Amino acid sequence: MADLFDIPYEDEEPPLEDPRFEPATPAPPRIERRVYTVSELTAGIRALIETKFGEVWLEAEISNCKVWNTGHMYFTLKDGGAQIKAVMFRTAVRYLRFKPEDGLHVVARGRLGVYEPKGEYQIVCEHMEPHGLGALQLAFEQLKKRLHGEGLFEAARKRPLPALPRRIGIVTSLDGAALRDILKVLRRRAPNASVLIRPARVQGDDAAADVATAIRMLGRVPGVDVIIVGRGGGSIEDLWAFNEERVARAIVACPVPVVSAIGHEVDFTIADFVADLRAPTPSAAAEMVVAATEEFRHRIDRLTGRLRAAARGGLQRRRAAVHVLSSRRGLAGFAARVAMRGRHAAELTHHLRSAVRGLLEARAREHRGWRQRLEQRDLARRLASIHGRLTAAEGRLTGAAHKTRHRADTRFRALAGRLENLSPLAVLGRGYAVCWNAEKTAIVRSAATVSPGDRVQVTLADGEIGCRVE
Amino acid sequence: MDPTIKDFESAIAELESIVKTLEEGDLALEKSLALFERGVQLSRFCHAKLEEAERRVEILNERGEIKAAPAALAGDADDRSR
Repeated sequence: MADLFDIPYEDEEPPLEDPRFEPATPAPPRIERRVYTVSELTAGIRALIETKFGEVWLEAEISNCKVWNTGHMYFTLKDGGAQIKAVMFRTAVRYLRFKPEDGLHVVARGRLGVYEPKGEYQIVCEHMEPHGLGALQLAFEQLKKRLHGEGLFEAARKRPLPALPRRIGIVTSLDGAALRDILKVLRRRAPNASVLIRPARVQGDDAAADVATAIRMLGRVPGVDVIIVGRGGGSIEDLWAFNEERVARAIVACPVPVVSAIGHEVDFTIADFVADLRAPTPSAAAEMVVAATEEFRHRIDRLTGRLRAAARGGLQRRRAAVHVLSSRRGLAGFAARVAMRGRHAAELTHHLRSAVRGLLEARAREHRGWRQRLEQRDLARRLASIHGRLTAAEGRLTGAAHKTRHRADTRFRALAGRLENLSPLAVLGRGYAVCWNAEKTAIVRSAATVSPGDRVQVTLADGEIGCRVE
Repeated sequence: MDPTIKDFESAIAELESIVKTLEEGDLALEKSLALFERGVQLSRFCHAKLEEAERRVEILNERGEIKAAPAALAGDADDRSR
């Protein structure tokens, strides 16, 4: 492209009979300024490009391919070093035998043109054919096929979202629109929700590793019951991290359900295929997580209503059943009959009770009579005999006691006489005396133990004398 | 909370089966009253759980630490602009 602009304009033939675009002939002296308007310059560039590269064949990879409602297709053609905007109109798109997709390697035929209002050049493709698969696309298809073969896309392994997530985990870029969108929805629809964000790069070389690590870490945090993995829209290159196997494996291994929310509705990544739920956009992911809770809220409300209705219904059924029974003809006089029978029963009971009472009273009288007679006769005799025996026994006991006491007395006197002879005090009778200290706790055995003025106690045979030592 | 209720999901499942049993009817009065009481208890538990969560916006960093998110994220920027 550079050479294009190196070509001195003056060497070219006037490309068009454009009056606005008169070459400055003769060759301008350097000092003379040629001032163009933007329109003039752009028209010149357009003329130049369209003349020089009227129709070209391009070998390139498709990227950012979008088909508009009008049926026109807008995309980018690129290789390792450069890219060019491309458009294919509906009439040409209709004749394509394949579906142009991002990453597809193609050979395209088209005309170069300049879109003047925007100052952009582009190629208007008239024909296109695939040139093998683009490298990314090929990788995508291969991984998709492999994971699909492992059964990782099966609906059966998709887990339902939790009814009431204690914490909602989010893996995305901290400054991306995706996070703002998710938080906005949660703030509006689930003001109580608790959110834990694990920031991750979502684009670039390290993105896949970062996202995979983030999912693993968040999944291990207690209380995190669901994880949203997301990023905003972009080209297939921008979204590429979510097509890498390590991200897919992290999602599969995550202990809690993962909702993928990558790019726009039309973007499908491998992460979307393995996630438990794919949301078309980050906002939608938040809505889905909240919807699960709201659905449960409604379910509980409905159940509570049914519970009350069932309880009410049960009571009404019983009441109705009682009513039906009591109004049946066979049962109509039931209550009256019951009352009559009841009275009869009461009367019978009364009769029975008085009869029994009379019987019992007669028996009691009889019993009392017999008892009296027994007491009068039998008991009196037995008491008299017992009394006689008691008196006799008492007499014998008294006699024996007297005898015993007398014997003891005699023996005691004898012993006392003998004891007296043995007593040291007996010598007092022969004129000896015992001298005690004043308190009579010790016998005074030595004259040295007393001093003049001390009081002593002297025991004689027939009494004591208080004395003072001179 | 009631120790006989394990968690939110099992509470809903139990409530569901109670409602079904009651709706089928043909229960002794005592039995259905007991079921009804249990149902009301479960329904209260679920409602309480729904209101229980508290709003928090936090960030899990690379070292596995949980920190409060910057005010710009956690705050109610939208609410202010409204």
